Amino acid sequence: MPARLRALFRFQESGLLLVILALGALLTAFAGTVRTPVFERAADGTRARVYTTDAAGERVPLTIEKNKFLNVQNLAQLAKDTSFIAIMAVGMALVIISGGIDLTVGSIYALASVAGALVLRHFGAEGPAATSPVLGIFLGTGACLGVATLCGLASGSLIVALRVHPFIITLGGMAIYRGIAFVVTEGQSIGSFPAAFREFVRCEVGDGLGVVPLATMIVVLFVGWIFLSRLAAGRRIYAIGGNELAARFSGIRVERVKLGVYVISGLCAGIAALLSIGYYGAATSGDGQGYELNVIAAAVVGGASLTGGRGSALGVVLGALIIQMISSGIVILGINQNYSQIIIGSVVIFAVVLDNLNTWLAKRRLTAAA
Amino acid sequence: MPFLEFRQITKRFPGVLALDNVSLTVERGTCHALIGENGAGKSTLGKILAGVYTADSGQILIGGRPVAPTTPLAARELGIAMVHQELAFCPNLSVAENLCLGDLPRRRGFIDRSALRARARALLAAVGADIDPDIPIGTLSTGREQLVQIAAAVGTGAQIIVMDEPTSSLSAAETADLFRLVRELKARGLTLIYVSHRLEELFALCDHITVLRDGRHIATEAIASTTPARVVTQMIGRELRAHTPAHLTRELGPVRLSATALTSPGHFTNIPLSVRAGEIVGLAGIVGAGRSEVVQALFGLDPAVTGEVRVNDRPLALGSIEQALAAGLGLVPEDRKRQGLVLGLNCRENTALAALPLLTRFGFVRRAAEATLTARYAMRLRVKTPSMEAITAGLSGGNQQKIALAKWLARDCDVLLIDEPTRGVDVGAKAEIYQLLDELACEGKALLVVSSELPELIGLCRRILVMRQGALAGELPHAAFSEAALMQLMAGLPAAA
Repeated sequence: MPARLRALFRFQESGLLLVILALGALLTAFAGTVRTPVFERAADGTRARVYTTDAAGERVPLTIEKNKFLNVQNLAQLAKDTSFIAIMAVGMALVIISGGIDLTVGSIYALASVAGALVLRHFGAEGPAATSPVLGIFLGTGACLGVATLCGLASGSLIVALRVHPFIITLGGMAIYRGIAFVVTEGQSIGSFPAAFREFVRCEVGDGLGVVPLATMIVVLFVGWIFLSRLAAGRRIYAIGGNELAARFSGIRVERVKLGVYVISGLCAGIAALLSIGYYGAATSGDGQGYELNVIAAAVVGGASLTGGRGSALGVVLGALIIQMISSGIVILGINQNYSQIIIGSVVIFAVVLDNLNTWLAKRRLTAAA
Repeated sequence: MPFLEFRQITKRFPGVLALDNVSLTVERGTCHALIGENGAGKSTLGKILAGVYTADSGQILIGGRPVAPTTPLAARELGIAMVHQELAFCPNLSVAENLCLGDLPRRRGFIDRSALRARARALLAAVGADIDPDIPIGTLSTGREQLVQIAAAVGTGAQIIVMDEPTSSLSAAETADLFRLVRELKARGLTLIYVSHRLEELFALCDHITVLRDGRHIATEAIASTTPARVVTQMIGRELRAHTPAHLTRELGPVRLSATALTSPGHFTNIPLSVRAGEIVGLAGIVGAGRSEVVQALFGLDPAVTGEVRVNDRPLALGSIEQALAAGLGLVPEDRKRQGLVLGLNCRENTALAALPLLTRFGFVRRAAEATLTARYAMRLRVKTPSMEAITAGLSGGNQQKIALAKWLARDCDVLLIDEPTRGVDVGAKAEIYQLLDELACEGKALLVVSSELPELIGLCRRILVMRQGALAGELPHAAFSEAALMQLMAGLPAAA
């Protein structure tokens, strides 16, 4: 095998790509087909059904047969659903590589959604400041991302200052942030945003492909990848996760780096929250319930090691995609929804066992080469 | 028929053939030394016997019968026990609980505390160890913990005890106690496999000696029919000549590092020291005298330290690693696996870790500069690694130590604090490290070297400071160097006339 090709096979995410391709092929093969109506975009931008006349001469909607998995709508939906989790998973990757854990992301997602929604409602069509929607969008974005960053800063500061295990601090933070969101909203759903905001986040190209969440995810992935692989700050995260004491002895400001990863993780949750309120047009304190576990699962499936020092941005995004493919696969294959948690839980365990096996095989290969 | 026989043992690890067809025999009731450089395979052979590793091929025979110690438990049932270098117990449990962990005495399902204590006392008494069975094992010194390990081995009816570098972190008194115990066990008919670097103790203690080199069996001889010089030649495969470091003849430069009244409550008091450019100053003392604490305090790792420290004639704010680094200090710590290296990172990343701020532009690591710098120091130190991208955990101890040194050379410090420069390093790599330290001094660096090995300090330094119980006990100029003079200062005896 040529050296370049071998290098590609050693590329650490290639295994995840193979899994994704295999999953895609399986879903395509077993999904079966569905007849969907054909739409046409009129000159004024509205979508309308296309009609035809059948054998009996009656006017009926034109339909075409599509694979249930491998069709543009489904893939667009998959991409969108993956984006939210994947964006948070990139932040989580940083935390996990540093040897920590962040259970607050789901709650930060809810609190940031609520904060952004409250500001956006103020500037919405029914709000008192309906005349300046652009200012509202900026302030709403700022509130959403600002609150998320502050939450990350708060967890990070407590972890560093109190020297308590991040599991404990973020377990507490998880309840506190969601509690704040609940108190602020009194359990009500917050909606009615400036129309321009929703239109921007929901803008589609082609046949229903929502590009904003996907593009945001790609940007976050790219920034995360550069951060971890090219920046000194990223190297420091790996060093701290690998051996905190040696990192300290090398003059790395361990506390500062640790604080940083929780801030970034909070910010990522804020970005996901901003997209979600734009997409769904409302926020409640119950949003993002259980997301922390999906995000951690994505990171772990994507090869981030909970003992620290190992993982990559691309890996966790692919991990998020695998988890999302499985949960949407359950719907497509018509498996009873009630089984989805059991299946995803098993996949997480299986992925980690597989990863351990792979590490063991690599070690054995090295031995055999000697 | 030999009591214990290894037949064509082969064992591979990632990147190395650790043992290559090794065959040897051991007589009953003897102390058999395994010696060799780091990576020679001596520890591996001991661990295969004790069931920690399993050989890829080959046979072990006890009394002519093939045995398979595939796990430590299986080995124990065959009467083989091992005394480890590293912690072998649960540090939070008591001595008694650790000793009986495999078979806790129970009464109606509850642990029988008095039976537990009695059994532990009996086990400890069998090796003459005076240790309270109720204290947590984590509070014992390494030497006393080893006694507990030996007690456990003898108590389980072990016929063969493998000791892996037992004296590497023992004080002189503890070492003497251990030797006495080894001789007594031998007299009781136990067979000991003694793995060590330290030639002098092998000649004092062992009956036979097996030399391994690069995983191959080189020689097995009776101690009486060989000499230390011959064994060294067998170990390294070439003649080793003593040499005088070149830096001793050079002019000294200005004072690089000076400290007055350096005090850290509970560790050391009122330590003065100064190191000039081009000088290697040794810091001697028995374990616990406060040597490592002093260099760590200089490097900003001790928040409680007081006193005045000047680097390049500028005052240094104590208690901050950042300040120490900015002033031009570097510390090669005592324990490279815990403090010196991130073993999961590769050689390039470890070498660049301390120099990262110098290799960064707009937050980005300058990859070409990083590759050049790290490769240059790896080459200078002759690090043996398949590539700079290889994970550091896979290197031998000597090569890991070279990476730990290269890391601070890459940072280009004016003053290097080096704590145990050659701990767990083989003879060949040792000579290379001494050569390097000499070159650094000739280039005008100031070096403060802490070491437990007196010959190392004597062969390397221009001056030696001796610490005792947290205070400076004395200072020896090069002309007055001798092991006897150092030991007297270390032990607090009046200098011999």
